Amino acid sequence: MRVSHNRMTNPIQAGNGPPAPAIDIRYLRVDYGDFVAVDELTLTVPAGEVFGLVGPNGAGKTSTFRVLTTLMEPTYGEVFLDGVDAFEDIESARRIIGYMPDLAPVPTDLKVWEFLDFHAAAYGLGHRKQRLDRVAECLAEVALSDQRDKWCKELSRGQTQRVVLAKTLLHRPRVLILDEPASGLDPLARRDLRHTLRKLAATGATVFVSSHILSELAEMCSSLCVMNRGRLLASGTVDQVREQLGSTERVLTATLLARHAEAGEWLSAQPAVHELRIAGQQVIFGFKGNDEAQADLMDGLIRSGFRLRAFEEKRSSFEDLLVEVAETNRRP
Amino acid sequence: MSLPIPHSPWKLWGNPIFRRYCRSRLRLRSLGVALLLMVLIAGFIVGLVSSIGVRSHQSPMDAARTGVIPLLVLQGIVLFVLGTAQVAGGMTAERDEGVIDYQRLIPMTPLAKVLGYLFGLPIREYAMFFVTLPFTAWSLWRGEVALSVWLPLYAVVLSSALLYHFTGLVTGTVVRNRRWAFLISIGLVFCLYTVIPQMAKFGLVFFKYLTITPVFEESLPGLLPKSAGALMQTVQRLAPTAKFFNLDFSEAVFTVFSQGGLILTFIIMLCRKWRWSESHLLGKLWATGFFIWIQILLLGNALPLIDPGNLFPSRAFSRMVQVLPDWAPNPAEAVAMSGIYGVVTLLLICVLAFIITPSPDHQLRGWRRARKQGETTLPRRADAATAFWFVVVMALAGAVGWFLFTRAIVESRWFPGHLVPLRVLGFFAAVMLAGGVGLQTLLEAKGARFVGMTAIFVGVVPIMAGTVLGTISNRLIPLASWLVGISPVSLPVYASGTLLSLAELPEQAARAVPRAFHFWLFVAVLVAGWLAVRLWAVRQAMARTILTARADGASHQRDRS
Repeated sequence: MRVSHNRMTNPIQAGNGPPAPAIDIRYLRVDYGDFVAVDELTLTVPAGEVFGLVGPNGAGKTSTFRVLTTLMEPTYGEVFLDGVDAFEDIESARRIIGYMPDLAPVPTDLKVWEFLDFHAAAYGLGHRKQRLDRVAECLAEVALSDQRDKWCKELSRGQTQRVVLAKTLLHRPRVLILDEPASGLDPLARRDLRHTLRKLAATGATVFVSSHILSELAEMCSSLCVMNRGRLLASGTVDQVREQLGSTERVLTATLLARHAEAGEWLSAQPAVHELRIAGQQVIFGFKGNDEAQADLMDGLIRSGFRLRAFEEKRSSFEDLLVEVAETNRRP
Repeated sequence: MSLPIPHSPWKLWGNPIFRRYCRSRLRLRSLGVALLLMVLIAGFIVGLVSSIGVRSHQSPMDAARTGVIPLLVLQGIVLFVLGTAQVAGGMTAERDEGVIDYQRLIPMTPLAKVLGYLFGLPIREYAMFFVTLPFTAWSLWRGEVALSVWLPLYAVVLSSALLYHFTGLVTGTVVRNRRWAFLISIGLVFCLYTVIPQMAKFGLVFFKYLTITPVFEESLPGLLPKSAGALMQTVQRLAPTAKFFNLDFSEAVFTVFSQGGLILTFIIMLCRKWRWSESHLLGKLWATGFFIWIQILLLGNALPLIDPGNLFPSRAFSRMVQVLPDWAPNPAEAVAMSGIYGVVTLLLICVLAFIITPSPDHQLRGWRRARKQGETTLPRRADAATAFWFVVVMALAGAVGWFLFTRAIVESRWFPGHLVPLRVLGFFAAVMLAGGVGLQTLLEAKGARFVGMTAIFVGVVPIMAGTVLGTISNRLIPLASWLVGISPVSLPVYASGTLLSLAELPEQAARAVPRAFHFWLFVAVLVAGWLAVRLWAVRQAMARTILTARADGASHQRDRS
């Protein structure tokens, strides 16, 4: 076994402090000429997490992933993988990661098992029997054992995704970097993928996964971050991200028995209320505040003598939120 | 997780990339058809020449020998053309399909990856080559061809195949489009066999050793039927061995030696690309060493051929024809050869400058990396460091090589009374520095696209316009001479035409060319000097901006800690 002795390690790990995070990105910037693809991204992912990176197309996800996988040198910034400085000790960093790129390419001239066996051999996973056992294990992991002898070019999009995922799992990487792994998968396969990723995380591996579909990641990940136009907009658990993105925003509808216009005036005077309109018996308005503030508003409405027949709340979905964020950021 | 053991580059059979291609390219169905086709063609060749031999009452030995060369041509097509195209196309396909990223991440040394691709991609072509060998062996045995004839020949066939496959691999690694990679690699091999050997006839003898031609010619007497072989042998007595300064080598040894140097350079290029895809093809020191090495080879092959007269085109083109006893080279040949040497040297400097000069983006990254590591300067040999001084060294070395070549020709026994004064070296150095440094500084400061446009409008268009103008009327030749002189590429030819006492320019150009040369050289030196000063200032400003910047991540980090 050969281990590099000149590993440049994360200063956190070098001392007696807490263990180094699985992924530690500091002030990462990626420029393509004058275009800034990733702008000052700083992010930490603890070991054993399924961490999601979400953002619309062109947010900088793939550039971030290419830097993380050492396939591209950043304009500046640092990346530590399991404590190893990825650009000072590329060889060690590459052994730590398993990478599944977007669109998951496969060679057209190999069969599924040949493709996997080639990678198993390249990663030095023992002799032929051991390699083939591991290939079988990984194929079973992605529920593709029955496609073992099929040509890679004959696979459907979803099957190709799963074969590449199997390839990524072969050498039991400590950090898995998966770019849009769920694209092209049917709901059943997505459920299986979720299950596989959680199982991997339970064994201590860290999974960094991207998608432009937020609901998909919300189901899959223990925490996530949102990027747009190269910048990090929010990160944390799903609820934390919602809060950071301003998802306290909600639309409320108060249905009154009478005095609608007066109720409208009263509500308009409240600082958290905006965009109010009256439709028949209903007063519909936007409200920006937390649950506590909303309860106070209802209380105030009733105390002011308005007879409330119904009160309805509609929160914007995570997807709407992302669209809104993307739209906001698109404006000059 | 246990860290896997890297694969040894020398255990080819255990190389996963090699085995992967053995698996995909040696599938029975497609391989069977290819092998069957090869056996049929090789069998047809041997059968046909044998039957023709019997019909024309040749001896069995002569009849068998007749088949060796057609078989060699077939093997050449398979290994050199199909093999090279497969290597270039296969490499580009890896990138096209996107699977190359997987290969970048697998824990194999760059050399192991290079060798895996080099022998794996054309594995079917090797198999096709090997099935023709029994036919060759039969022809050699029946033809009683000596071991000393066929062994060097086949050694050079294999070394040439390796060289061309490396050419394909480099092309496939660098060129992004699969179709272009295929065309360029085939074009390069075609050039190696057509254009490059012709350069040998203008004094640049070394280039012919990059092909199989010299060894093939050396082996011909032993391969042809006896009567034809004897005739060839007589002709070949004129130039029996490869000369290198005062040393004599067999053509085969020198060919392998010359190809070996280029193969080594290709290996370095590919390993650099595999280690880091954004690396320059060659390091600065290696490029400079490679350039000086080429200069030594050019001089080493050319100088010994001056005295016997074999270097001169009028002799080289009539090698197969009986040379008149009172033959002497024309002075114009010597001037042209000097000019061509200068142009080739300048172009080589430009190519290497393109390879080792960092783009503005590359420089920025280098400075940022230096700052991250707490350095205030860039390592001199780093890709991001300036290539200026290395190009200066190359330009000076090129000027010296050019001067030695020119002096050896002009002061040879063929042109008594003519001398090349030392001041000519100064002019040659100015030409090389103006052209080489001008291009390099522009490239480093402005990037490749800008230089590409400049090269077209300053390097090529004036030559084309001047040539057209000059052919319209003799009266326009002076104007055409001034126009052509704008291009730095024409300066070496103008220098030879102006500075050598042998030069006898046509009447219409006799006044214009020297004046144009001095004027445009002066302008080119001034521009190159100004560009160098500007580049210096730009680099200083870039370094200052980055090393003192407070607004970016690394500075934040420093502040924080």
